[in-house]
Amino acid sequence: MGIHQVKRFFQKDFNSWWIISMVGAAVILLPILFVFLSLFQEPNQNWFQIRQYLLKTYVANTIILVLLTGIFTAFLGVTLAWLTAAYDFPLKRFFRWGLLLPLAIPPYIAAYTYRTMFSYTGVIQSTFRNHFDYQINPELLSISSLRGAIFIFTLFLFPYVYIMTRAFLVSQSSSFFENARLLGRKPLAIFVRVVLPLSRPAIVAGAVLVVYEVLSDYGVTSYFGIHTISTAIFQTWFGMYDIDSAMRLAAWLMVIIVGLFFLERLLRQGRRYNVNNKSRPLMPMKLKGVKAVAAFMYCGIVFLLGFLIPLIQLIAWAKLTFHKVWNESFFTLFFQTVYVAAISTVLILILAVVVANVSRNHSMGSFVLAKLTTTGYSIPGAIIAIGVLAVFITLDKWLAPFYSYMGWGDAPLILSLSLVMLIVGYAIRFMATGFNAVEVGFEKIGTKYSEASRVLGLGMTKTFFKVDLPLIKGALISGFILTFVEICKELPLALLLRPFNFDTLATKTFQYAKDEMIYEASISSLMIIGISVLAVVVFQVIDKKVER
Amino acid sequence: MNLSKLIKPFLASALLTVGLAGCGAATDNSSEGQKPAEQPKKAENQMVNVYTARHYEADEEVYKKFTEETGIKVNVVKGEAEELIERLKREGESTQADLFITVDGGVLANAKNNDILQPVKSDVINKNVPANLRDKDNNWIGMSTRARVIVYSKDRVNPNELSTYEALTDEKWKGKVLARSSTSLYNQSLLASFIELNGEEKAEQWAQGIVNNFARQPDGGDRDQAKAIAAGTGDVAIMNTYYVGLLVNSEDPEEKKVGESIGVFFPNQETNGTHVNISGIGLTKHSKNPENATKLIEYMTGVDAQEFLSAHNYEFAVNPEAKKPEILQSWGDFKMQELNFDTLGKHNHKAIEIFNKTEWK
Repeated sequence: MGIHQVKRFFQKDFNSWWIISMVGAAVILLPILFVFLSLFQEPNQNWFQIRQYLLKTYVANTIILVLLTGIFTAFLGVTLAWLTAAYDFPLKRFFRWGLLLPLAIPPYIAAYTYRTMFSYTGVIQSTFRNHFDYQINPELLSISSLRGAIFIFTLFLFPYVYIMTRAFLVSQSSSFFENARLLGRKPLAIFVRVVLPLSRPAIVAGAVLVVYEVLSDYGVTSYFGIHTISTAIFQTWFGMYDIDSAMRLAAWLMVIIVGLFFLERLLRQGRRYNVNNKSRPLMPMKLKGVKAVAAFMYCGIVFLLGFLIPLIQLIAWAKLTFHKVWNESFFTLFFQTVYVAAISTVLILILAVVVANVSRNHSMGSFVLAKLTTTGYSIPGAIIAIGVLAVFITLDKWLAPFYSYMGWGDAPLILSLSLVMLIVGYAIRFMATGFNAVEVGFEKIGTKYSEASRVLGLGMTKTFFKVDLPLIKGALISGFILTFVEICKELPLALLLRPFNFDTLATKTFQYAKDEMIYEASISSLMIIGISVLAVVVFQVIDKKVER
Repeated sequence: MNLSKLIKPFLASALLTVGLAGCGAATDNSSEGQKPAEQPKKAENQMVNVYTARHYEADEEVYKKFTEETGIKVNVVKGEAEELIERLKREGESTQADLFITVDGGVLANAKNNDILQPVKSDVINKNVPANLRDKDNNWIGMSTRARVIVYSKDRVNPNELSTYEALTDEKWKGKVLARSSTSLYNQSLLASFIELNGEEKAEQWAQGIVNNFARQPDGGDRDQAKAIAAGTGDVAIMNTYYVGLLVNSEDPEEKKVGESIGVFFPNQETNGTHVNISGIGLTKHSKNPENATKLIEYMTGVDAQEFLSAHNYEFAVNPEAKKPEILQSWGDFKMQELNFDTLGKHNHKAIEIFNKTEWK
């Protein structure tokens, strides 16, 4: 590399954006790297046992679970997004945001709720028994199976695909759809030939989040007794007391994920679907008669199963246990949950915007880096937590002389006993939800505007604030909702990385659910759902203003 | 090149960095109030920091009473046992935690083997807790137990038909036995105790015999086994007394009915005793407040706290002076397995292997 080239690099690429993005990425990648490095350690006896006896079924189960959930969520998400974006039917305005609400219910709470509802003492069997004197065969209603898990994941995760696809379709130039209509294409043909290919980046961005969430899930799968790679990680750690092999499994999981990125990128090569001629919103077509009823029923059933039924059940349980469980400390829990989630979400979005902005203007290298920062979502939270712990405790030990120089006492653990550790943990784990939303936003507007702005003499920073930011506002909002709601629900990180005397609503829920006290867990579950619903509603209002 | 153009991006980056740092600093400060661990000099004599894997309201009540009586504040981090052990290991000498509390002898043994605990020296504790419910080096002290018993349908089973865990493998119980998954630590420790008492071969035969007699594939938790008895899926189940107490005292009348339709039987009374799960407290190796920590252990194993825990959490007290609450009395007295809890941790690995081999899901 000649001096000239170096000089050019500094002039062209080495700007503040690049620096911040590198620093941010480094902070996020360090703990992930820590997990990854376990691949290079000498495997021990347990590892061979795992490989020999367990891995085959675990991998097979994981693939089935991920594949089917992916397909079903994509189907639900895209069809519902298209229906509510392109057509008018009864209650459509309500469904538009109501269909986001299943996201507010953490899948593990949904699993507990549905399973208990279907159990011997649950509302269905006991109603039949006590009022009709009929005992249903309990085996018929058992949902603790692979099928049951797919049911739960699909119902409660499809909003990822829905929200991303819908944002994309609504603001997308409507000319494609209207031209297709004018040219006499049937609705189904328009959906398959125009909507699907156009919204592919959004569908993928949403489906990837679903796949990650399923891969890293421990709550639902362990409760239903399904053996997946994620439960194997915990069985190795908690059952065999072997954290090294557990991290090794997690590292392999991560390698698979990164592989999937490249596959997707490869499949999409050369195709860029940013169509941004004058952005006129899509005009919905009015549905009549049977079609209107069908559309209403479809949305209604999904809403019922994915939100209303579990909500009513939880409220009924909360009524039963309210006098036993409720006390003032729930206000503190509420405040702490919102507080830590808000700070973390803002941090994640700032970082996501910076990294996404840099990676869209730069090379493959920065793309890889950007994607690596989102892998945290695919690894079980508890494993990330170990990486974060290791990095922070090391950091604290390095900083100990500085702490005592500052007169903060001789106790060397300051960062790792503060909320900072938990917030960084959240940032690592949920970079994906923020980043994917922002990336879809950038993908939608393409680089045309910013290039024009740069050519006309504005710097990258000015261009960003004056040109890009207003254009991606919608994407930022969906990113905020997703990330905020995710953090409110998050459990394993909060469990392991929290400072003394710090509880969130999720840890409170876990406290009861762990002992099968699902009735007692209902109040804190409802509060989590309440916060999430509030977030969805507030941003729905803002979203409307933005759309105008 | 325009100078301002060169400087501006850097300025922006600096601002952003400061902003980010500000975020971090802000949270740091605001949490300081709840984080007494940071001001050790002043508050050293008045606090004790606890990492606990027991998350019961009853425990919190006991901490509260302790603070009222002694003025020593109890700070708590709750989590999963294995994760807390990992946190303690990584924190090493710098840890601020004084006590480690968890359920299950196997996990306590694991904590001891990971060298994160140290012996507790106190005559009060030695008097409160019988020697068989403490680690032999006093690295951990038992605080309560739960019996893993046979639960039966009061309608269909005469308790006279029941005798031992081993007898459940008889032809007679074919298609009638219920148990939860082998991933449950409770089952792992149960099998580990059989490996210690009866040897590997017998333990494997037992697991195979139970699997052969399963009424259905393991499904759900301990409570679900009781519900399956009520539903008529099976007649007998292996489960913890603790969950029977929860069912009987449930707010849901349907669950109460389930709890009342089942009986508790303590197996192996004529032979080597009923298996128990033990909850224990250990003093961390690098504790900064060992005296306060010892005081808290003394308090928690004292008669008052023991009776309170027993009444609110349906667990058996370790202190022989403590009176049993009504529901525990109704189950009667029993003879406990006599074994060194260390062995549960030692055999845990083997137990999992046997479960895998016998296809106990």
